[in-house]
Amino acid sequence: MTISRRTMLAAGLAAPFASLPLLSRPASARRAAGILRYGLSAFPPNLQPWVSTGASAGTVKMLIHRSLVSYSPNGELRGELATSWSLDGDGAWVFKLRPGCVFHNGDPVTAEDVKWSIEQIAGEKSTAYMRSQFQSVERIEIPDPGTIRLVTKTPQATLPSWFGNYNTFILSRKSTPTEFIGAGPFRLVGQERGSSVEITAFDKFYKPGIPKLKGIKFVVYADENLRFAALQSGDVDMIEYVPWQSMAAVEADPRLKLDTQQGPFMDVLFNGSKPPFNDPRVRRAVAHAVRREDIVKVAFFGRGKPLEGLPIAEGTPWWDKDLAHGWNYDPARAKALLTEAGFGNGFQTTLLATAQFGMHKDTAEIVQQHLAAVGIQCELQLPDWSTRVARGSKGQYDMAIHGVSSDNNDPDGLTVVLDTSLSPSHGRSFRVDAPRTIAALAKGRAEFDQAKRVEIYKEMQRAALEEVPLVGLAWRSQGYGMDKSVVGFTNLPGALSNSSGNMLEETYFG
Amino acid sequence: MSATWLARKLTVVAGLAWLVATIVFLALHMVPGDPAELLLSTGGVSPDPASVAELREKLGLERPLLVQYAAFISGLLRGDLGTSLIDDYPVISEIALRLPRTLELIAAGSVIAILVGVPAGVFAALDRGGAFDRAASGVTALLLAVPVFVLGTLLVLLFAQTLRIMPAGGFVPFAQDPVQHLKLLILPAIAIAKGLAAVLFRMTRAAMLDALANDYVRTARAKGLSPTRVIVVHVLRNALNPVVTVLGLQMGTLLGGTVLVEYVFNWPGMSTPLLRAVEGRDYPMVVGIVLTISVLFLLLNLVVELVHALLDPRVAHS
Repeated sequence: MTISRRTMLAAGLAAPFASLPLLSRPASARRAAGILRYGLSAFPPNLQPWVSTGASAGTVKMLIHRSLVSYSPNGELRGELATSWSLDGDGAWVFKLRPGCVFHNGDPVTAEDVKWSIEQIAGEKSTAYMRSQFQSVERIEIPDPGTIRLVTKTPQATLPSWFGNYNTFILSRKSTPTEFIGAGPFRLVGQERGSSVEITAFDKFYKPGIPKLKGIKFVVYADENLRFAALQSGDVDMIEYVPWQSMAAVEADPRLKLDTQQGPFMDVLFNGSKPPFNDPRVRRAVAHAVRREDIVKVAFFGRGKPLEGLPIAEGTPWWDKDLAHGWNYDPARAKALLTEAGFGNGFQTTLLATAQFGMHKDTAEIVQQHLAAVGIQCELQLPDWSTRVARGSKGQYDMAIHGVSSDNNDPDGLTVVLDTSLSPSHGRSFRVDAPRTIAALAKGRAEFDQAKRVEIYKEMQRAALEEVPLVGLAWRSQGYGMDKSVVGFTNLPGALSNSSGNMLEETYFG
Repeated sequence: MSATWLARKLTVVAGLAWLVATIVFLALHMVPGDPAELLLSTGGVSPDPASVAELREKLGLERPLLVQYAAFISGLLRGDLGTSLIDDYPVISEIALRLPRTLELIAAGSVIAILVGVPAGVFAALDRGGAFDRAASGVTALLLAVPVFVLGTLLVLLFAQTLRIMPAGGFVPFAQDPVQHLKLLILPAIAIAKGLAAVLFRMTRAAMLDALANDYVRTARAKGLSPTRVIVVHVLRNALNPVVTVLGLQMGTLLGGTVLVEYVFNWPGMSTPLLRAVEGRDYPMVVGIVLTISVLFLLLNLVVELVHALLDPRVAHS
């Protein structure tokens, strides 16, 4: 007994030194083997190809599956399993399949697989993200084995972009509910729930020389600061969602580089089912009351841009200088609108956000301050994200802060946030009347002439500025941080930033 | 100590475990948030209610709460903790995978705490009022005041981000790469050890000072025994009893402390699935993990009592 204790004491003194030889070992072995270590912000709840489980899951899914199209580095649709697509005389979309594409089980990708996949997405019991879109496909025809013809119930100008969404993939008909057979540049080789996902290059991928990496190991770092620490310490080669407060540090580090795009945006949502926010003048007063620069400065460390209109990216044909500032900061105008609506003395209300994400909370606090200045006193409600979602979709709020990205860079991609006639959701205003905005969105979707579409969407913006289905606050930068040796990756422009995972097929160590 | 004493204690453990499971189960279902809706709304905007209803039915969330509770309890009695709502995976498998890692972290942290805290306490007591005693007492006061996640973050900042001699966090199985495994273990284990080491230091120091003041120490010295023999055989042996008790009790609280440390160091123990499950309202997973931690905690206390009873038979009879 005595001896063992003495030994124990001696060992105790030696312990701090015993660990020294374990220190310092360069972490370049994986790099030499062509394996990229990627810091993911969330573990994919699942990898079901058609169910939306967030952008992190999308990044993995885009690499193991393929659809008819994807986005090129400049944000335009490019062919994948399809080489071309066009409208035929009857208004149906016709896709020509690329010969020589194979699934991971070695089977060729056929028109039958495409038809089967679309039918699964649109199925009655489907929980697919794109279900309602694909339910507007009336018929799927296969004129020849290399061609697919989609006849829609109403004209759909943006149908090809549906296949660019990372929840729309073409799978082998032999897939089962637990085993999905895709045709992407990588194959899933292993995953540890909650921690990591490993994929390896698929040697029969249809693009010669792609993928350029031998494999990718996704490691989940849910905490943004730790994700950045992992990049800085060399634990990983690349991370997504660089925290805004760390962007400057990534730029300043000679070993690292930063690639940012302004795509996602922050907005205010309303409950239009009861006063005072059933009155568009009150909603417009909110729009004029907030100084957006403060949000950009405080919540995003200057990494963003004020958004005083609808989230339509500058430089696109749909953008209009005047409309883009239709909700400019003008507290006097806000007060006048409140007086006009009968709230000259202001009122008490609530503002729902979440404390789980700093940017939501910071944005809410600034909005609260500016609204107080025009007489709208908000009580902040900051529950966890799950509660925020539940209360949002049940309409249990007065005003809410939200952060979201459009589906794509076409204004039709804003339908999910602007069309308040769709089923209630935490990401859309609750029962806010916006009939002209919604009608214009439908009109734009059915129009194939580009010049006419530009006009329709300007009309849509004018309607929305008055009807106020939401209030734009700020564009926020979305950044990828990586080691300087990582080359070939592109952060896709605007709303497509979340789809940039696809670019990992062209990424390699330089 | 009798068999009935043990049986009675085990019944109390089982009863408390059932109580914990019931409270967690009911509390979770009362909190707003719908797992089906959450699962389908991660894209920022929810899909149509039909899909949500479909999923709710598939997950069995449409059944009355009492029916769900009955199913849960009957599963529990069969040793079945249910299936994760998020990824359709048996809760028990998840715990089987994660628990050893959490326990490894606790074990490593405890070893470090014992190896640092106990000797330091002994030396401080022998050096009462001296430079080492004052310095060590100051350091422990500081360690007790610094929250574990602050120390963890500082360790990452210093060793991973600034010096770049340690990984910032993560996990590699021991079999795959033993060196990397240990490197990844060191910083979180130090963070875990922090509080326990400070407590053990204080306890050992105080117990040693108490023991040193005893008459038998004076007698031993008077008999002419070597100072080392006096300290090790007569003082330390008597001083260690309360230290062992404190160690046992503190290890239970370490179970709770690991959640933060695992999060800070991305150590994939029980905390990741727990946080994910709470965020996603994954009822079976939350209940399963909380229940496991509670039962461990209860069993640990039982073991402490048992050891106590073995050392001092009066405990078992009282």
